[in-house]
Amino acid sequence: MRSTTWHRIRPLAWLLLLAAAVGWMLQDAAARRAGQAARAPWVGAVVRLLGAADLALSSASRWLRHPSLTEPGAPFADGPAILDNDPAGAALAPPREVLAGAPEAAQGPARGPRKP
Amino acid sequence: MKRQLALIRFALGSARRRAGRSFALAVALGLVTFALSAVLFLTEALRREFRLAAAALPDLTVQQLAAGRPALIAETHRASIAALPGVVSVQPRVWGYYFVPSLSGNFTVVGVETGSETVRRDLSLVMLKGRLPRPGASGEVVMGEALATFLGLDLDDAITLPVGRAEKRLQLVGLFRSEVALWTADVILMSLADAREFLQVPPGQATDLAVRLSTPDEATVAARKIAELLPGARIVDRQLKTRTYDLTFDTRGGLLGAMLLPALVAFLVLAWDRLTGVGPGERREIGVLKATGWRTSDVLLARLWENTLIGLYGAGPGILAAYLYVFHARAPGLAGVLLGWSTLYPALRLTPAVDASQVLVLGCLVVLPFVAASLVPAWRAATRDPHGLLRGTA
Repeated sequence: MRSTTWHRIRPLAWLLLLAAAVGWMLQDAAARRAGQAARAPWVGAVVRLLGAADLALSSASRWLRHPSLTEPGAPFADGPAILDNDPAGAALAPPREVLAGAPEAAQGPARGPRKP
Repeated sequence: MKRQLALIRFALGSARRRAGRSFALAVALGLVTFALSAVLFLTEALRREFRLAAAALPDLTVQQLAAGRPALIAETHRASIAALPGVVSVQPRVWGYYFVPSLSGNFTVVGVETGSETVRRDLSLVMLKGRLPRPGASGEVVMGEALATFLGLDLDDAITLPVGRAEKRLQLVGLFRSEVALWTADVILMSLADAREFLQVPPGQATDLAVRLSTPDEATVAARKIAELLPGARIVDRQLKTRTYDLTFDTRGGLLGAMLLPALVAFLVLAWDRLTGVGPGERREIGVLKATGWRTSDVLLARLWENTLIGLYGAGPGILAAYLYVFHARAPGLAGVLLGWSTLYPALRLTPAVDASQVLVLGCLVVLPFVAASLVPAWRAATRDPHGLLRGTA
């Protein structure tokens, strides 16, 4: 008898669980938005300091680091040894030989940092 | 209403009788919804972060172009631009990139007037630890946490970096808050004089000029006037920057979405294959329903409810899982593909930016074709002779 009742209410229980999860998701999203609003003064200050609002998502190339400030066609100006001129570059990495064969001058200063 | 409730109860029973198939379809639907939702959540959240930050941008940025790429701009242009009507201020900026081959890392170097009251106020707002760089002191820098960790530096540690043939000693005096890591992860902020030395920008030159206007809506007019003054300059207004960002994430999100389309098509083909194979039990069931007085529309409605419920039980958890994956687990894997190659990744603390209409479109894109695909075989079976269906000859 009990098993029949459970059998009947099970879909409803799943539906209620789903609704509760959606409710939690909406509440979590609202809390995160409130957090974003609270940190807006910090974001404004940092953009004023840096002079750019571009997100530091990729520091590989200037057209990825500051897409909003880079001139159109920037990826094509920097030569064949570039690491990534397309988002798909993350999925299809260039062959290592290409990077190994790049002239040193094209890679920047030869020495690395050192702690004094 | 009572009729619909009865149909829903019948549809639930029907889904339970074919539990294996219903479960498999719900899981496949959940996976496809998860993948598409994760891309949508991530791209929209990143776009929103930029849009909110864009409000504090200068109205215009003036760059000098040489040989088709940005070059240094003479600070003497500052006075001629400042004299234009509507221009409130013109700020020469010194900033650029620094690549360290041994670390395979690219850093963003930004110079600021460390003695300026506005700069000191802004810095004290966004710094988590340490102290402000002293005005006039050489080599004192503030860094993003990711960069400091990458270089293995703690507060007050010093590091020497090569600058041409010479070397520059930098001392870490402050760290940016992690809440602004999306903007500062790879940033080294230092005094203007240090930035000039570090980036080898000669006195009287700047990377670009930041222009603020009394009426930002007149940015296009001001940009045209500046272009007349400096024919070789490239002028970027704030709206153009926002549009560029929108397009960037549209392209990236679109590329990933396009990569996921085969998965969606594969799922629909699977659903079509599973649902068109109406088994003998199902035929008999439809035959019994028709023989006991059910109309074709009733059979179709029951099937519609059954697949809508499967769709709901599949897509709902898929969207929830995508939310947890992007906003709580910080999208491992997907972020790497979407953002590209990098040595320094900021901690992705994102805020949901997807509205109900987008979720609805997403649901329609996945659930509607699935429900529609299920109706055709049910309609074909329901329009046949009930006797034939019961005897198994139809």
